[in-house]
Amino acid sequence: MTVSTVDADARSGGGRLLLTLLLPIIFVNVIAFIAPVANLVAMSFREATATGSMKEGMDLATWSSLVGDAYYWSMLWRTIWIGALITLVTLVLSYPLALFVSRAEKAKALLIVLCISPLLISAVVRTYGWMVILGDQGFLPALLRSFNVTPPRLINSQLGVVIGMTEILMPYMILSLLSGFGKLDTTLEQAAETLGAGPLTVFRRIVLPLSMPGVLLGCLLCFVLAVSSFITPKMLGGGRVALLATEIYDQAIVTLNWPVAACLSVLILIVFGTALLFYGQLSKIVE
Amino acid sequence: MQNFTRRKVLALGAMGVAMPWVTKASAQERKITVAAYSDIFEDIYKKAVIEPFMKANPGIRVDYMGMPTSAQNLGMLRAQKAAPQIDVCIMDVVVAKAGGDEGIYKPVTAEQLPVMKQLVPAAIIEGVPGPAVTFDTIVMMYALSKFPTPPTSWKELWNKQHAGRIAIDAPPNLLGVGLTLIANKLAGGGDYRQSIDKGIQLLGEMAPLVQTWDPKPNPYAAVANGVVDLGIGYNARAQTISKQNADRMAVAMPEEGSIAQINTINLVNGSKQPEAALQFMSYALSAEAQATFTEALYYVPTNKGAAISEEARKKTAATPERMARMIDVDWIEVAKFRDKITEQWRRNVISRS
Amino acid sequence: MYLEVESLEKRYGHFAPSVSDLSFSLGQGELLGLLGPSGCGKTTTLRMISGLVQATSGKIKVGGQDVTRLPTYRRNMGVMFQSYALFPHMTIAENVAFGLQMRKARHADIAKRVESALAMVHLSGVAERKPRELSGGQQQRVALARALVIEPDILLLDEPLSNLDAKLRDNMRGEIRDIQQRLRMTTVFVTHDQTEAMAICDRIIVMNRGKLEQIGTPHDIYENPATPMVAEFVGRINRLEGQWRSDGAIAVGDSLLQVKDGGGTGRVLIMIRPHRIDLGAWGTASAGSAEENTIAGTIRHVTYVGDTFQYEVATTGGLLQVEKATSSMADPFQPGDAVTLRWKTRDTLTFSTEIAG
Repeated sequence: MTVSTVDADARSGGGRLLLTLLLPIIFVNVIAFIAPVANLVAMSFREATATGSMKEGMDLATWSSLVGDAYYWSMLWRTIWIGALITLVTLVLSYPLALFVSRAEKAKALLIVLCISPLLISAVVRTYGWMVILGDQGFLPALLRSFNVTPPRLINSQLGVVIGMTEILMPYMILSLLSGFGKLDTTLEQAAETLGAGPLTVFRRIVLPLSMPGVLLGCLLCFVLAVSSFITPKMLGGGRVALLATEIYDQAIVTLNWPVAACLSVLILIVFGTALLFYGQLSKIVE
Repeated sequence: MQNFTRRKVLALGAMGVAMPWVTKASAQERKITVAAYSDIFEDIYKKAVIEPFMKANPGIRVDYMGMPTSAQNLGMLRAQKAAPQIDVCIMDVVVAKAGGDEGIYKPVTAEQLPVMKQLVPAAIIEGVPGPAVTFDTIVMMYALSKFPTPPTSWKELWNKQHAGRIAIDAPPNLLGVGLTLIANKLAGGGDYRQSIDKGIQLLGEMAPLVQTWDPKPNPYAAVANGVVDLGIGYNARAQTISKQNADRMAVAMPEEGSIAQINTINLVNGSKQPEAALQFMSYALSAEAQATFTEALYYVPTNKGAAISEEARKKTAATPERMARMIDVDWIEVAKFRDKITEQWRRNVISRS
Repeated sequence: MYLEVESLEKRYGHFAPSVSDLSFSLGQGELLGLLGPSGCGKTTTLRMISGLVQATSGKIKVGGQDVTRLPTYRRNMGVMFQSYALFPHMTIAENVAFGLQMRKARHADIAKRVESALAMVHLSGVAERKPRELSGGQQQRVALARALVIEPDILLLDEPLSNLDAKLRDNMRGEIRDIQQRLRMTTVFVTHDQTEAMAICDRIIVMNRGKLEQIGTPHDIYENPATPMVAEFVGRINRLEGQWRSDGAIAVGDSLLQVKDGGGTGRVLIMIRPHRIDLGAWGTASAGSAEENTIAGTIRHVTYVGDTFQYEVATTGGLLQVEKATSSMADPFQPGDAVTLRWKTRDTLTFSTEIAG
């Protein structure tokens, strides 16, 4: 459809204008996306010596050592399941909020602004906020101690990463859900009620299926962001949560092993591609 | 804005018309860029070394480029390999070695840089392109309020009283790598080149007491801000920060000795001003500059002739008895199995916390 | 009585009640129309019966059982929504089966009943399609099938025909009535269209501003409207103002009007339907009798709309609209003609002006 429109325009000469208008973005894309990714892929076929210097020439040495190392496989799985866990927690917490906002009659715009206002503050600052709240001497552990409860380790742990990432991703999830709630219509829920469906059944059979497009979009977005973020896992993980993204940081910035960092980056791209494929298939099903 | 435009026009004009004049001008004022650590190092190095150098050599302008880590410093040059914008790099010896192997730095000789003859023997390292410009040591930082008497031993890290109140930068960070070698010695593990198993085992016993393996923003702030009571760091920075937070944080140099960290000064291969760069390196390694910098930031000088005050000497590892207790480490050798150390930590140390 | 509504009231906050003091009852198999202008409370009433809106006070009983506080999903009422409210993510068969699944019917049973429900609304071929692939009329039949397949105690229809075009609306109206009669389904039908209500309802409630104005058969409502509002809502009507005389007649301008069972004092509102007035040339009229009222007038304006002429006639009592069926002959009256207006005494509706006020 789009292609044929472009063809028709091209013949009429409007295509030249279209091409001229598209040129800047194509140019920017080549410079800022395609070239760096190509460079990254090329880098993944090089090899670094033990001291960090890169050898000349290209081969599969780095890839084969990576593929043969169980450590990286376990890191890949951990990255995927923590990403999925964060996505799930974010979804569960954001869904009722988004539903409430989408049904608010008064001050809906204000509520939306409130939901996304955390985006006005950088993730780093918000993560520092969590360090203050959840830290060893922080607000929450102090509160727990005042009730004679020994606080669990809330930061410098997997739990901390999940808490911090969830808060950081919630605005994205809420926005995606809101955009996907277009098909929801309270009349449909009322119709189901009149047919004998209780509140839970109404949610399960009507609200949830109709909001699936938003749920899927939000999950894709949050999963990708969760898997690719490294600042929050680094700051709240306390070195206990080794994920692909933090490992890329370590390999690139600390150990200087750029080929390994490049391989892992390509691996993350593959994870994203797979997630996108899943998204495409699932949204066809829920359509 | 107007100014800018005028300058641009002028610059364009200069390209075409005033070329001979420009060449002459740049011959009169040469410009070099030195890349080294940001933060405190940058502040103090500029005042203690770069400004005096520029005063003494009015024909050379030195720009400073602050880098958070040595690896990022090398990374910048990797990206600029075709046309480097940096002339001199001060960085950790391990990174300098990697850069040298890639041909990013040009080895310097005593013929090019006669001041090298004044340096202590340990400053000239086989396989590294430039000589050592500073020595530093790994120390413990502690919260004054929690220690009635200053700790004297690394064993304090295994004291259960500090459960959940210790910050350690785990490998691949070099602090963690250094601690591995210290622990290996404490455990009687023998030559680290053969095995570090005993050291790893000992660290595993410490692990449950550790709050974070990646203190943010850094271990010094973590102790100074009361997030933890005990941490490890590099002496020069620790001393400076404890001076700024004299009521909260102090530095301990354990009696078992410690490990040196070495920064080298390297000439970039492809520098457009190699003479000016060498001139600067020569000054940076001189007894005068080395002494001034040590007084300000407590790094151990590498120039034998550097005269330092008693007060500064106390705050560095530069006393003869401390030097005698230093654990001998070949960082280039260690770098070869840094990955293995990191893996061992993840499997057997961090996993136990 | 099968459905009983007693003193039903709905208030939102401190505003005037949306529905107040509403009582009526409905026999098994009866089709009741709730008629009124928009905002009169008819839809709120329907929603209170279905449970989608909680009554503030009053009672709703079905077959003697009080359901006022029962949640919707326990009430067993079939509701057809104005927008049809078909579930867009389910097929037509799944839509119809939904209510049966809620009732935990057996699988085979569900399939059979869905099939026969769709057959009933003449939609057997579309079971596997999605709602958006159907036309408006088809969607409406699906909605009806879905509401009926659960064998509800009461069928509630909320303006079911308002989204259809005129021709389809008439067909559908007949079909709904047919099915309702066949199943002897007790039904409440909300509409703002009096023709629709009159055509199919056994009885009609006319509502205004949250209150019941009149309840009665279509004939009652049309011929004996209880209030001027009802009279005006169910068809075009003339309004005249007059004064009661002691002999039971009414003085309007220079004329005297007789009424069926008159009597009163003070001012009075008189209403006459335009098509119940006869026109004659001036002078042909006999004097008014006890059976008939006559009044003199002058034609002001004539409008030809095909099946009728609509005259505007000036009389001493005021302007009157008169409607006459057309014939193949030419227009008998021209503007300016002097005419006599004549109508039956029993077509002269009177209302005390307090009510009219």
